[in-house]
Amino acid sequence: MSDLALIIEDDEDLASIFAEALRGVGFEVEIIADGQAAQERLKNGMAPFLILLDMHLPHVSGADLLTNIIKKDDGFAKTIIIITTADARMGEAYNEEVDFVMIKPISFVQLRDLTSRLKPKR
Amino acid sequence: MKRQFDALLNVPVSDPDDARRRKLLNILLLGTIIATLLGLVAVIINTVTQAPTDETETQYTLFGIVLATVGILAIYQINRRFSGRLAAALFLLLLTGIFALTDTPQQLTEGRSLFLFTIPIVMSSLILASGASFLFAALSSGIIAFLALSIGHSVNLFGTIGFFLLALVSWLSARSLEEALRELRGINANLDQVVIERTKALAESLERERIEAGRSQAILNSIADGVVVFDTNWNAMLANPALIGMLDLPLELIVNKNFRDLIEHPKLSPRSRHLLSAMMEYDTQPPSFRIEWDQKTLSISAAQVYDYTKDRFTNIGTVTVFRDFTREAEVEKLKSTFVAIVSHELRTPLNAILGYAEMFKEAVYGPMNDKQVNMAERIMKNTQRLLGLINDLLDQAQMEAGKLTIQMAPVRPAELLENLHSVMDQNAHDKNLRLTSEIDDHLPEVINGDAARLQQILLNLVNNSIKFTEHGTVHVRLFCPHENKWGIQVSDTGVGIPESEIPHIFETFRQVEGTATRVHGGFGLGLSIVKQLVNLMNGKIDVKSKVDVGSLFTVTLPLVVPEQSNEKWRIG
Repeated sequence: MSDLALIIEDDEDLASIFAEALRGVGFEVEIIADGQAAQERLKNGMAPFLILLDMHLPHVSGADLLTNIIKKDDGFAKTIIIITTADARMGEAYNEEVDFVMIKPISFVQLRDLTSRLKPKR
Repeated sequence: MKRQFDALLNVPVSDPDDARRRKLLNILLLGTIIATLLGLVAVIINTVTQAPTDETETQYTLFGIVLATVGILAIYQINRRFSGRLAAALFLLLLTGIFALTDTPQQLTEGRSLFLFTIPIVMSSLILASGASFLFAALSSGIIAFLALSIGHSVNLFGTIGFFLLALVSWLSARSLEEALRELRGINANLDQVVIERTKALAESLERERIEAGRSQAILNSIADGVVVFDTNWNAMLANPALIGMLDLPLELIVNKNFRDLIEHPKLSPRSRHLLSAMMEYDTQPPSFRIEWDQKTLSISAAQVYDYTKDRFTNIGTVTVFRDFTREAEVEKLKSTFVAIVSHELRTPLNAILGYAEMFKEAVYGPMNDKQVNMAERIMKNTQRLLGLINDLLDQAQMEAGKLTIQMAPVRPAELLENLHSVMDQNAHDKNLRLTSEIDDHLPEVINGDAARLQQILLNLVNNSIKFTEHGTVHVRLFCPHENKWGIQVSDTGVGIPESEIPHIFETFRQVEGTATRVHGGFGLGLSIVKQLVNLMNGKIDVKSKVDVGSLFTVTLPLVVPEQSNEKWRIG
């Protein structure tokens, strides 16, 4: 299993903070800021160990990516899915479909501690 | 001709009995004059054909005829202009006088023309007064008695008795005639009154109906909402001017047309067309909904119209009310856009600030000194506060819009307390307060509830207690007072709430003493939101407080234990 964490988040600052938290834990981080680009990447690239998916994205929404690609492609069966949203209701709605739901504002420490527990020990 | 004849006979007076008698007199006068004229003709024929026997008798007869004619005309005039009774009396006296002079006293006493006297007796009860027949019976008896005595004969007693018997019969029949007429007049008068009343009532009800219809029409015409009434086949029977203005269609494209034709109009959006078709297919009361017509948003509500006839209700159609909702729809859209912007666009940069401050604090980019860490903490704390305020405002806005709903799902009360501690322990610690909590043994491990909203109630209550407590303890207790109730209790050792302020503490944007908002910070929305959430959950909230001793908030909620086995949740 790779150490790759895919951050799909359109806000540059948040993406940078999340990336810092994940790097701090030891993940290799790839950031995608656009839904369309994420769709291409998910269809063609290697399945990451973890996806941190923002539900509100330009062009193709996080919800679409989740339902139409990630959940349908067996390649992502082992990938840990964490969704981020500001809408608590939306978070609840997807609670069963993903591994973790994080409601914004997302704490740097919280994300770091969570992912550190998830990361396989070497 | 007949009218002129009637005018000749009738006497225009108000008393119907008087009029009847005077008319009768006129008829008799007419009859008499005709008889007189026939007498004249007889005299003339007699004179011409036969040899003149007695010149003097003929002259007397002619003189009598002229005198009778003049007398009758005079009586007629009196009857017409002056008095019916006087005329009748004069006529009867004249008649009696003439009869008295017709025969010689000798012939009369022997009874030759005695029968003639019966005529004025009978007439008098008809044209003068019912009792007058006795007077004329007496008069006639007097005359024949006088004449008999004058020639030395005895009085004709049988004749006199006959006169009085006749007078009695005349009197009785005249009286019964008068009574019958009076009764008939009474019945007629009643009948007239009834007819007048009925006519009046009918006229009034017609007038009322006209006014009512006019008023209904005026209301329909001036009402701002568009109203259209359909029959059971959805043919539009009537529409008001507001609807015509709203749809911007001529009346003839609406009224007397089927609704199915109208909804094919290109100004209607496909979704709206679908909704309207659905409305027509509902058997029961259709709900209210919105459609898009051209650039407008119209709110539609429809109601079945029932007519109560023959002891049952019959559906006679549908009345549909169109309201121009364009402006409201815009405002609503603006409001939800605003809420979406605030919730996403405002929270995202705050999240970034929070994240960067945490990174400072966690010394991600190298060691920090105490002051720097402290400053990072302050940035974090203030950002959290700002986020809290935004959340409160959003919740308030959503509650006002009626969009905040409670979504029930299994909840673990223990988890609510764990989350509470993870968020509020630091705040309590910062003020040197102790935050403690306990759960009643009776409370089930898993209950039904809206986890996010229950957490919010707990956080707001504890946050409020910490804010108004300077030293001591804030204690949280989850309890189960009853098999179908559970509750949250938050007690503190804070400043307390004056009794007079307790009724107001759940009001929006309110803190004790009004200015406290400035001293303690915040919008004063926390408790108001708690109260509204508790109401949405069908629970209630109570406060007990004593100034300088502390406050106790108690929330009581309906307790429902989820049907699923608790095992699953213990593992979770």
